[in-house]
Amino acid sequence: MLSRSIYKVPQGKLLKISLDYDENKNTIHHIRITGDFFAYPEEAIEILENELKNSLLEQENLLKKIHSIITEHDIQFIGIDAEGLTRAILMCKQ
Amino acid sequence: MSEQWRLLLTGRNTAFVNMAVDRAILVAHSQGKVPPSVRFYHWIPPAISIGYFQSLTDEVDVDACKKFGVDYVRRITGGGAVFHDRELTYSIVISEAHPSIPKNILQSYARICNALILGLQWLGIQGTYAPINDIVVNGRKISGNAQTRKTNTILQHGTILLDVDVDMMFSLLKVPNEKIKDKMIADVKQRVTSLKHVLGHTIGYKQVVAAMKAGFEDEFHVKLVEGTLTSDEAILAKKYEKECFSSHQWNYRR
Repeated sequence: MLSRSIYKVPQGKLLKISLDYDENKNTIHHIRITGDFFAYPEEAIEILENELKNSLLEQENLLKKIHSIITEHDIQFIGIDAEGLTRAILMCKQ
Repeated sequence: MSEQWRLLLTGRNTAFVNMAVDRAILVAHSQGKVPPSVRFYHWIPPAISIGYFQSLTDEVDVDACKKFGVDYVRRITGGGAVFHDRELTYSIVISEAHPSIPKNILQSYARICNALILGLQWLGIQGTYAPINDIVVNGRKISGNAQTRKTNTILQHGTILLDVDVDMMFSLLKVPNEKIKDKMIADVKQRVTSLKHVLGHTIGYKQVVAAMKAGFEDEFHVKLVEGTLTSDEAILAKKYEKECFSSHQWNYRR
């Protein structure tokens, strides 16, 4: 199922998510994260998008997963954060 | 004697050349081939640049751009969509290891933006840094900035609005909700300003360049000495212009 969300991170930037997910398994099939935020290094966004594939669309699990990707790849976000990303992704299901 | 940095006055170019030149300087400096560099430029034809993470088709009305003869290009820096028309654009390229540059990214934004604030002071204008990446005058945005860091080198570029046409801007950019478009335009008109608006009269590009040059010299305690792109940089810029910034693949990649 295809869905989109737009979420303005408090004190931060605008996140736009395009999500293709499996309704039965409640997992991410494909995700695209766009917006006017900053990420260092920039290529990290593609890593994040790839590593989120097959993740369970559930708050706690998703937040943990995003935190671990950020740590593993030493990603610095400005204007968005793991909480904002999680929220924007889950908004696609509403 | 104070440290000397290179000043590049590259004048008016297309969006694709402008973005290619910034990237070429970034690469040349990271290879130790050129000194820290401050560049001033503008755009002809007018152009929309979008942030690295934005979707071109989400943000830009490509048909309207074609109709009005406005180019569009994806930047290598993050941040938002910008309509480059009557403005001064600057870029600074400097090593992350330079003692004047804070390691912390937000602090480095603030430091570089302060050069512009000092430049504005030369024009008699009181500007303030508004995190994350803006400079405001009387609470209204006059400058937007974006930074990338690659191979231990910083590229920050940004704009100073000489004049602004919000209606034109909104005929080129897409809005998430057409129903509230009029309200958004009214909103942006309240939140954005320009040198013309603040000063009450138009100001020439060269005068603003002179002020900003002084601002960078004051902030970083350096002398900006006018130079040119090296032949390596020029070759690299040509390559990036052709293979990257003017390519469909790059501009539509997200």
